[in-house]
Amino acid sequence: MNDRMQELERKSRAAFDASVGSLPAATRSRLARSRARALEELRHRRLRWSSTWIPAGAAAAAVVGVMLWQGERAAPLAEPALAAFEDLELVAGADELDMFEEDGDFYAWAAEQAAGDVG
Amino acid sequence: MPEESMTRSATLPAPTALAGGRRAMREAALESERALERFLAGIERRAFRIAQLALRDHAEAEDAVQDAMIRLVRNYAGHPPEQWRPLFYRILRNRITDSQRREKVRRAVMAWWPGGDAEDEAADPLDSAMDPGGAPDAVLEGEELLARIEGVLAGLSSRQREAFLLRNFEGMDVAQTAMAMGCTEGSVKTHYFRALQALQEVLGEAE
Repeated sequence: MNDRMQELERKSRAAFDASVGSLPAATRSRLARSRARALEELRHRRLRWSSTWIPAGAAAAAVVGVMLWQGERAAPLAEPALAAFEDLELVAGADELDMFEEDGDFYAWAAEQAAGDVG
Repeated sequence: MPEESMTRSATLPAPTALAGGRRAMREAALESERALERFLAGIERRAFRIAQLALRDHAEAEDAVQDAMIRLVRNYAGHPPEQWRPLFYRILRNRITDSQRREKVRRAVMAWWPGGDAEDEAADPLDSAMDPGGAPDAVLEGEELLARIEGVLAGLSSRQREAFLLRNFEGMDVAQTAMAMGCTEGSVKTHYFRALQALQEVLGEAE
């Protein structure tokens, strides 16, 4: 960039800065009002956010609390179900299968006895 | 006794912590709002002049700046403050482009409507009258130069004009200008150089 261009940059910027500094009072005032309106919008949005999400968060926390409390109350009800599961284990346990095998021998012996009686 | 108070504070921290958290959030929100107000107050007049140079319409430039402020606050208030300036100018640029398109359509329609332009409200001369601050000769010279620059800028492509307004008048660096214009840094450099060349050709000859 040559010196003339740099000089042009400097002069044009100075002219622009001067024009910004001498804006009419009415325009400055309207710009300040625009700024105030934009910031008002920000406050409204924050208010809307807090009035929506804070109660929603509190409600969600309450629901979680109630669920946890209900969970604690519901825990004893699980005991009979656990007992039934243990019964099933006893029934299906290896000891019981042994008993079935012994009973099988008994039935075979009883069948032989019955055949002898007939013969 | 101190042990008792310690136990008490240890067992009841929740309400205090919640209140403290709420207070901290409120203070952070207020600080963010103050920072945003400082930013807007520092940028609004230059933004208005840039919009006015691009649109060549006082009232429309005021509306464009107001819209850009509201959109920035609505969509980008939570962004880091160093991003606000390029974001603001990007919004303003889009708003100016929309406004120019609407104006083009309006002119096309009015061309078919005899005497339509005459119905436009005349601009209030007080609105565009500058505050007579500074030495009269210097102000006059500056205004004259700016009027000539405005004339040259009007003949440039919109990208060259934007690059010049943002780089030279707003003082943004190449990276920020690229972000505001939505293009590469190389493109900004090219557009800016072409704008300067055009200004030099016209204004250099007049000197």
